Amino acid sequence: MNESVNYLDLANSPLMWLGAAVAVGIVVFQSVLFFRKSLVAAKEAGISQEQINSAIKSSAISSIGPAVVILVTMISLIVSMGAPVSWMRLSFIGSVNYEAMAAGFGAQAMGTSLENLDPTSFACGVWVMICGSLGWLIFTFLFTDKMDKVNHLMSRGNAKMVPLISAGAMLGAFANLGSGSFFNAENQFAFGGAPAIATIIGCGLMMFLTKTAKDKNIGWLREWAFAISMFTGMFCGHLWNTLL
Amino acid sequence: MNNDYYSSTYMPSIIKWGKITMLLGIVTCFLPAIIISFVYGYVPPFYAILAGTISQISVSGAFYVVEPISYFPILGIPGTYLTFLSGNTSNMRIPCASVAQEAAGVEMGTEKGSIISTIGIAMSILINIAILTVGAVAGSAILSVLPEGVKSALNFLLPALYGAVFGQFAVARPKLGAIAVIIAFGMNYLQKNGFLSFLPGNASYAVTLVAVFGSIFMARVLYKKELADD
Repeated sequence: MNESVNYLDLANSPLMWLGAAVAVGIVVFQSVLFFRKSLVAAKEAGISQEQINSAIKSSAISSIGPAVVILVTMISLIVSMGAPVSWMRLSFIGSVNYEAMAAGFGAQAMGTSLENLDPTSFACGVWVMICGSLGWLIFTFLFTDKMDKVNHLMSRGNAKMVPLISAGAMLGAFANLGSGSFFNAENQFAFGGAPAIATIIGCGLMMFLTKTAKDKNIGWLREWAFAISMFTGMFCGHLWNTLL
Repeated sequence: MNNDYYSSTYMPSIIKWGKITMLLGIVTCFLPAIIISFVYGYVPPFYAILAGTISQISVSGAFYVVEPISYFPILGIPGTYLTFLSGNTSNMRIPCASVAQEAAGVEMGTEKGSIISTIGIAMSILINIAILTVGAVAGSAILSVLPEGVKSALNFLLPALYGAVFGQFAVARPKLGAIAVIIAFGMNYLQKNGFLSFLPGNASYAVTLVAVFGSIFMARVLYKKELADD
């Protein structure tokens, strides 16, 4: 094979766009299908149209910030992997850290790096990205419908326990995700860093707004509380970082 | 209104289509690799694909199992299918599921909660893909339009998001929130300072497991009285 071909011409070819579009199409198909089924189920369960609208609106508002972050990081991946593959991977079991790492492992196995790809090592990067993420797909394909048993086991048949399990899982998972901001380079606790400030402000403001919206029954605040807290926290972290 | 609809019609159909779409996903995600190798003819040596994949599995292998199980109490069956096909679990799917439930005033883990969170997650996937599609086509033109200040500010969006999701749940159960922080921070401290190095691989999977299931266990202990009432 001719290794002097610029691999990015292949990576950005119409055929690659087509292949990626079929895969992304499955994700869209699944979302639209589940969305419509849930609308029917919501009516059957006696959920009002206002509740549904409010859920849709709040989810849309809250999606925009994180989607822009994913977009910015996708563009950094496009530089080495081309647009169609990056687009597919971030619409599909992706997260940027994972994708850059997987592509890097593929390049490394070919004895090169993401900055110096040729067509064959690019191909290897794509194969590794895909094979390395199959585990999540296969596990959820096989076991999702059986995982209810885990819940039943933990709740021991007590229906009141179910929301408590969810709350415990949420608090544990997000305390864990947020903890990264509270360590310094020497792996000791540090509470004054800019990411830590962003986390603390985001958390404090969300607690205040959620409580206010609930106590005073303010509909729009319920929908906007998350976006307001997220962006205010981000802004304060940025300010702290710039000023210090 | 039909009380059986959720368990007799909705769930079986979600499980059937969930499995079909996951299987389609497993097959179609190979298309770009197949095109490069079998249309364009650049076939990497098998050992290189294997070596790269093994490197990747050594990092994320435990998470194939830990993530779906840890997030299941939050996502439920439909949410798990949606989330693990589309990815971006903690930065988008779970925040949107919980925000939608809060806005609609339904409780997480219940049938109504599961329906509403599915609507919220599906919405977030469609928005995510719409924005990424514009970005992928417009490419780096977008990046050059964004001012430098905005780009560096975006570095702080995820930390703020983690705080906000935590806050949403901590406000209803502050004691459990404090305990979750102690468990999660403690486990991370142990892992970062090498105290968990007796575990195989990078022990962050153990940190996630203990943080999630430790907090669930403590919820049980803490609210024993509330559970025992009536």
